[in-house]
Amino acid sequence: MFLHNFRYSVQILLKNRLLVFWTLAFPLIMAFLFNMAFSKIDDTENFSAIDIAVIDNRDFQKDKIFSDALRSLGESDDPILDIKYTDDEKKAEEMLKSREVTAVVSVSKGETTVRVNGSGINETIVRYVMDEIRSDSEVIIDLGRDKIMQAVSDGENDLDYQSIFTDIAESVLSDESAVKDNSKKDISMVTIEYYTLIAMTCLYSGLLSMTLMNHHQANVSAIGKRSTVSCSKRGAMLAGTLSAAFLIQLIGLALLYIILLFIVRVDFGSDIGYIILLSAAGSFAGLTFGTAVSVLVKKSENAKLVTLLYIVMAGCFFSGMMGITMKNIIDKNVPFINYINPAAMITDGLYALYYYSSYERFFFDLASILIFSSVMILLSIRGLRRQQYDSM
Amino acid sequence: MSVILEVNGLTKEYKELRAVDDLSFQLSENEILGLLGPNGSGKSTTMNCILSLLKYNSGSIQIFGKEMSPSAYDIKKDIGVIFQDVAVFQELTVYKNIDYFCGLYIRDKKQRKQYIEEAIELTGLEDYKKFYPKQLSGGLLRRLNIACGIAHKPKLLFFDEPTVAVDPQSRNNILEGIEKLRDNGASVIYTTHYMEEVEQICDRIIIMDKGKIIAGGTSDSLKELTKVKEKIIVEVPKLSESKLDKLKESQKDIDIVYQHGMLTFTYKDGSDHITALIDRLRDTGIRYTRIYSERPTLNDVFLELTGKELRD
Repeated sequence: MFLHNFRYSVQILLKNRLLVFWTLAFPLIMAFLFNMAFSKIDDTENFSAIDIAVIDNRDFQKDKIFSDALRSLGESDDPILDIKYTDDEKKAEEMLKSREVTAVVSVSKGETTVRVNGSGINETIVRYVMDEIRSDSEVIIDLGRDKIMQAVSDGENDLDYQSIFTDIAESVLSDESAVKDNSKKDISMVTIEYYTLIAMTCLYSGLLSMTLMNHHQANVSAIGKRSTVSCSKRGAMLAGTLSAAFLIQLIGLALLYIILLFIVRVDFGSDIGYIILLSAAGSFAGLTFGTAVSVLVKKSENAKLVTLLYIVMAGCFFSGMMGITMKNIIDKNVPFINYINPAAMITDGLYALYYYSSYERFFFDLASILIFSSVMILLSIRGLRRQQYDSM
Repeated sequence: MSVILEVNGLTKEYKELRAVDDLSFQLSENEILGLLGPNGSGKSTTMNCILSLLKYNSGSIQIFGKEMSPSAYDIKKDIGVIFQDVAVFQELTVYKNIDYFCGLYIRDKKQRKQYIEEAIELTGLEDYKKFYPKQLSGGLLRRLNIACGIAHKPKLLFFDEPTVAVDPQSRNNILEGIEKLRDNGASVIYTTHYMEEVEQICDRIIIMDKGKIIAGGTSDSLKELTKVKEKIIVEVPKLSESKLDKLKESQKDIDIVYQHGMLTFTYKDGSDHITALIDRLRDTGIRYTRIYSERPTLNDVFLELTGKELRD
């Protein structure tokens, strides 16, 4: 029964043009579109540091961690930013208007403001870099405060505050600062966009499982009724069906990786094995999510399809598909969303592989994806075990 | 004949609506039992309860002498169902659709192949094996729907309105096919609101309304329930009031109605009144273009029992 369902499910999926488009063709089209959009940025030889103006006033100088980090970034061997310091805000605004600089950065009461004159990749990069520095400086302040509180409660009176913050800053910037470690990797932004594309492709596997699961529920489709009244055991049927969906999904992912690696020539670094592992786990999460939508959404087949597409697209948007800034906003303000958003888990896992030398965060994301999948399976089983309905 | 299906006191409620109300009946081996009733009378709900798709409030259902349940796979293997909605995969050809559904019951490929060919022959789909469902007409699609439900040679078959929106040729093909299945040993529950179909193929008929059985028996025995014994319809394009009055005066014990150019005579006893009526019409000077006699129909039975027509 497993093989019978597996064989026919593969045929059904491959003959369904809508599914083939969304799960196999659409990611490839997106990969080519990304390539066309980012190909100039990707050319490292043409890359030049982005000009920005920084308002060098008292607030900026008082915000020592932020200002030091920014200065060190501008003074690195191959800087991503070419910083012009000025205490004259009017002059900075004129430079922005005349497009002499891409952005004007100012600090007021610990808040960073980035003013830009248009929207584009450079503007996005500046915003992203400033968010990263602010994020790191907040981490340093928090850790420093904790350390000082601990020292005071331990009875230490002779504290060298400067050295405490310097030690923490060095630790944070060396372990986690993405900007510093990757300042030479000007492709980072592009790579992250491709990561979100991979996340989206993984979650579109939900379309495959949802379509097939609709054929196994008597209260959803006429075919579901026919399957339910048959003498085949549901477990074997579903196992064959979902395995077929997983196979098609893996084929789709393989095609995407072939395009990304050999045609678009995206540099995934040396962690390609982990990337594939995470993609497989993400695809599994997508399958379980599609199954849960099929079982739990008590609407028509079309309504289920639209629900799934909207949720996946929203998830990808929140995880930074349309701009990495969104990911940072969610990380800072509503991190809870990341715990229920599989797209964020996948993107963050890939992002962690790229930015961090240790694999802790990657494995945390991998575990999150598996926990998400388990929850989806449990929710689905509850619905799928039901073989009799109150109404149809 | 042994009992294949036995339903006792079946009751199904949807909140405040009692869709099936204390229903009891039996189906014997090699019998086609028609469940006849208007839309919403509870026929499909009854079928879904029997198939354990729907939960029910009370009652018992035994098939092949065993209690039916969702996990009664030994019972399910001998059941075939043809639902009102066409249940086939658009992505598979006619042959592959039948193979898929037959494969849910029959694992042996050789045997399955033979069964599929037989189902295709029975439903007249020989020329369409490689067609996809979207390439088939409505009638052929219904035949495919049936082929998918019968290919595994079930002993008990459920047909839920299988001829809805089907052309006359396909309808005849379907009805003949069902009779063949019965002749080959299957027992059939056939739900419909088309009285002509149940009269044509059913050995026994249950008439349902508002979830209850209001009458049951053979077609003839049901017709015995009505007071109407014969109807004679005469096509009279023009008829004066005086001639109609004269006619009514001379046939006081007969119900006579003139409507839309048709004179209808309803007799509550006896039969073969047509010869006498022709004489009477000639005597009265009524000229007609057509005359024919009609036996009472199941619609007359339903009308008399419920005060409404089957097609209402």
